[in-house]
Amino acid sequence: MTDTPKSPKKLVLYVAGQTPKSLTAIANLRRICDTHVPGEYEIDVVDLRQNPKLAREHDIVAIPTLVRELPVPLRKIIGDLSDEEKVLISLKVEG
Amino acid sequence: MTLAPEALAELKRRLREAEDTIRAIREGEVDALVVGALDQEEVFSIGGDADAFRVFLEAMQHGAAALDGSGRLLYANAVFAGLVGHPVEAMRGHPVADFLPPDMAALLERMIAAPEAHPAGLPVVLATPAGPRHALVSVAPLKLGTTRGFALTLTDLTERQRAEQAERSGRVAAAVIRSANEAVMVCDLSGRVTHANAAARGVFDGDPVGHLLAEIVPLVFTGSLAPADTADMLRQAMSGAALQGLEAQAPETARINDLLVSAAPLMVAEGEVAGCVVTLVDLTQRKALERQQLLLMRELDHRVKNILAMVLSISRRTRRNSTGVEDFMESFTGRIHALSATHNLLAQKSWTELGIAEILAAELAPFDSVSRGRIALAGLDRMVTPRAAVALGILFHELTTNAVKHGALKGEGGSIAVSAGSEPGGGLLIDWKEQVTDPVTEPTRQGFGTVVIAQSMLHAPGGGTELLFEPDGLRCRITIPSEDIA
Repeated sequence: MTDTPKSPKKLVLYVAGQTPKSLTAIANLRRICDTHVPGEYEIDVVDLRQNPKLAREHDIVAIPTLVRELPVPLRKIIGDLSDEEKVLISLKVEG
Repeated sequence: MTLAPEALAELKRRLREAEDTIRAIREGEVDALVVGALDQEEVFSIGGDADAFRVFLEAMQHGAAALDGSGRLLYANAVFAGLVGHPVEAMRGHPVADFLPPDMAALLERMIAAPEAHPAGLPVVLATPAGPRHALVSVAPLKLGTTRGFALTLTDLTERQRAEQAERSGRVAAAVIRSANEAVMVCDLSGRVTHANAAARGVFDGDPVGHLLAEIVPLVFTGSLAPADTADMLRQAMSGAALQGLEAQAPETARINDLLVSAAPLMVAEGEVAGCVVTLVDLTQRKALERQQLLLMRELDHRVKNILAMVLSISRRTRRNSTGVEDFMESFTGRIHALSATHNLLAQKSWTELGIAEILAAELAPFDSVSRGRIALAGLDRMVTPRAAVALGILFHELTTNAVKHGALKGEGGSIAVSAGSEPGGGLLIDWKEQVTDPVTEPTRQGFGTVVIAQSMLHAPGGGTELLFEPDGLRCRITIPSEDIA
């Protein structure tokens, strides 16, 4: 019996510099991941104020927005991630 | 037209996403939007520029932080981070209460629940590596873009309180120095007087402020362990030694010569010496009293010895001329009383000069009943020294008792005239002349009285007595030397 390699999991959080909602979203995401799914996700924080063109990849309109890039299907959560339950549902629901 | 199930699902997902975006914007869950066509995207903040707010926050001199509605830290300036003792990055996104002491966290929770209840803020004490800091914490509602939260400020009052305390301490110290009876002077590290109270100004006949203490008060200390001089005293005090109760002389000061000196380091902070506090107590009067007391003790000793010698001499001579114990007792007691009467007079006059009339009156007092109206006095208002007074007292006693026993006061009809007149050499001649009815004959042997009379006033040149047994009554000429005339 061999170990099955884990499927990659990746989250991308789009923020706009240090707006209050952006800062809150970063803090909330780190807390939720550390508490409930520690080490499972690769987290990428993208500052659209530094590079607005990166919004194109995931068609981002409102900031902050969290994108579950992997596993597919892609999911988006808009807002500062204060609703922990809603975040967890989006992260854990497969497909 | 029929859509493939996958296309329909994609459309539904996009619709859901669009609806979710609109809802999030409407409900204020986002605070920035990406606007613009391809290659033209721009990010716009909703409700204001947070960067400007942050720049403003950083420029504030007070500790300031922006919290979201649940008390999590969004921004904080460096002053806030310094007071709380945690870097801003470590606190960002976390409840700020997690980084505060428990009592302050509880206080903050109450203030966030009712920010309007404490508009002036509440005092707190923060433990920092540099020591405790006293601060005023205040909380006010804040709206940052679409986020409602709180502005938290920490005003560091430590320096202001320290300055106020220093000022208060300074006022108290100045008042203490002013109200001290002793002369108090404060010197800086160079030994120059910076403060002096009124007593110090009185001592030196001017204002010592601005002068070097060692120059205006060169002290000469007594005692082997005492400082060498004023400069040495200041050096010792400033090195931390407290010098107390040093007796010193200040020969060059205007009004005070003898001083009791104390010197202590002026501590302005823990271990920091800023100068020296010198206290001077005037001992001049006390020293003068001590000297006078010593003089009096020696004088008293001298007089007691004189009196004892005199009493012994009286005792010996009285015994030699007494016929029995009773005769001895009577004569001896009478003579001691005579001595005592003159001493009483001298004590009343603090051992200064006495009038001749006073001395005679004291000796005549025991014989008042027989002498009243029979003694005429003239020119006895002159004053004599204590030495002459004691001799005159015994002399008058012997003349009086002799007159009572054998002379003018023995029977009826006799009288005595006592007069005084100046001698050419500056002395005084007292003439004691008795008038009797029965003729007088010279006694065949010398009694004590005769010896005393004959030897009186011989203590100085020019003094002496002469006893003449004139037929109409005894005459005694007493010459008081000029040096005993006051």
